[in-house]
Amino acid sequence: MGVVVLKSHISGSSISRVSIVLDGSHRSKLFVLTLALFIFIGISGTAAAEESASMGLSPAEFFILFLVISIFIGMVAVLAGVGGGVIFTPLMMGFTPIDGLIIRGTGLFVAMAGALVAARPFLKRGLANIRLLYFAAVPYSASAVAGALLAVYIKQTMGVTGEAFVRLALGSLVIIIAMLFVFAGGRIEYPEVRKVDRFTQRVGLAMAYWEESIGSVVQYQVTRSWLGLLMFSGVGLISGLFGLGAGWAMVPVLNLVMMAPLKVAAASSKVLIGIGDTAAIWPYIMQGTIFPLFAVPCMIGLIVGTILGAKIMIRVRAGFVRYLIIGIMFISGIRLVQQSLSMLGYI
Amino acid sequence: MQEIRGKFSSESRPKPPLSGVIYGELAYWVVLIGMVVSIIGVSLILTTDKNYIDSSCLLNNLWAGDNPSEIWERCAGTHPEGHWYLEKLGTGDGIAMLGIAFACLAAVLGVWASIFALIKDREHLFVVFAFIVAIILTASALGIIQAGH
Repeated sequence: MGVVVLKSHISGSSISRVSIVLDGSHRSKLFVLTLALFIFIGISGTAAAEESASMGLSPAEFFILFLVISIFIGMVAVLAGVGGGVIFTPLMMGFTPIDGLIIRGTGLFVAMAGALVAARPFLKRGLANIRLLYFAAVPYSASAVAGALLAVYIKQTMGVTGEAFVRLALGSLVIIIAMLFVFAGGRIEYPEVRKVDRFTQRVGLAMAYWEESIGSVVQYQVTRSWLGLLMFSGVGLISGLFGLGAGWAMVPVLNLVMMAPLKVAAASSKVLIGIGDTAAIWPYIMQGTIFPLFAVPCMIGLIVGTILGAKIMIRVRAGFVRYLIIGIMFISGIRLVQQSLSMLGYI
Repeated sequence: MQEIRGKFSSESRPKPPLSGVIYGELAYWVVLIGMVVSIIGVSLILTTDKNYIDSSCLLNNLWAGDNPSEIWERCAGTHPEGHWYLEKLGTGDGIAMLGIAFACLAAVLGVWASIFALIKDREHLFVVFAFIVAIILTASALGIIQAGH
């Protein structure tokens, strides 16, 4: 049943990079299926649908356009070692006129779907720490729901001013994340835990996994879990409020604060996104902010883009793509700040 | 405070926890089925007229930057609440949204199933954590936790 095999490529100087590798037969089947889907929708949909006056696109053309854009986002994201969700939301909010709440709900959905697909091999190999997962999932999912509810509340009660403040906060956050990628990319592959505090000891988060690259079992401890709890609350709130995947924040919390090995941190964060974003997505669904015609091509596109990105990863210079994505994030962040200032009447 | 020494050992591969494997398998297959259903639904949206929301109207209003309430009012006549798609399964939108909702149930089902494995493994504290997470996810999915229109 092993359709998809995930490999984590992690180095000390880069953010966790997760790639999906399909074996030959499945890869060609997926390619043929995707191609068939394009052709089917392109031919039948274009003929059946009326042209939309404001965009000049039929629903089928809209579907294909966002599929292609999302494939590009997924490819670039995996090459740069980040999740697609962290680029999707700011880029769409900054450069399309689509309502912010719809984009954030869709952003959460695509981040969640990608994370759930990616989780399986990490758990099967014991790389994701299930104890750590459920321990962190409590504050993360609770605050992610709170963030999603806050997003809906702001939209309903504060109107344009609320949207402007959300864009200002998201734009600033995206610029900060981009700066973190530039200046604080350091990670520790195997952090040495000298002392474990009493709280963490009592919770018992220690585990072991088989490290393929060194052919050995890695037994590891984590520490400062109380601080991790607080930080996961903040990360969850941001994820739910802004519709971002939160791997960019979770990996450093797990690796640098709680001192989990880098591979464990990357794998656990991927699984955690699936759980936390599930909690946050439902308030968006209940409010009718998810429209399948927009959400489905974005979801398929990001997942297909991740697979394609993993395939071409060995042939491109990762450094260039990394700076490309940092550039995209800076531009999206500045655009969001500019939009918010314009909405508030400052420019 | 406890001092930790020695990280590596040449023991045989540790068995991955059953609870994690169950969660991973269930979530993976549920989300995959949800994706397939949603793709079928979108194919119907694009190829038939049996839709709840007028697709051209949706795109016009989506691209005009209208909020979800305005889009629903103009393109479907009403802004439905909660699990609206369950009553519209004869339409492409209803099927596509059912697929999306099913995919969003993946983690909910996965966490509940993994609780039983945690109980079997006598991981009592983590049963409690997983139970709290499962309650949060279920309450969210049932619409018990939600903001009003």
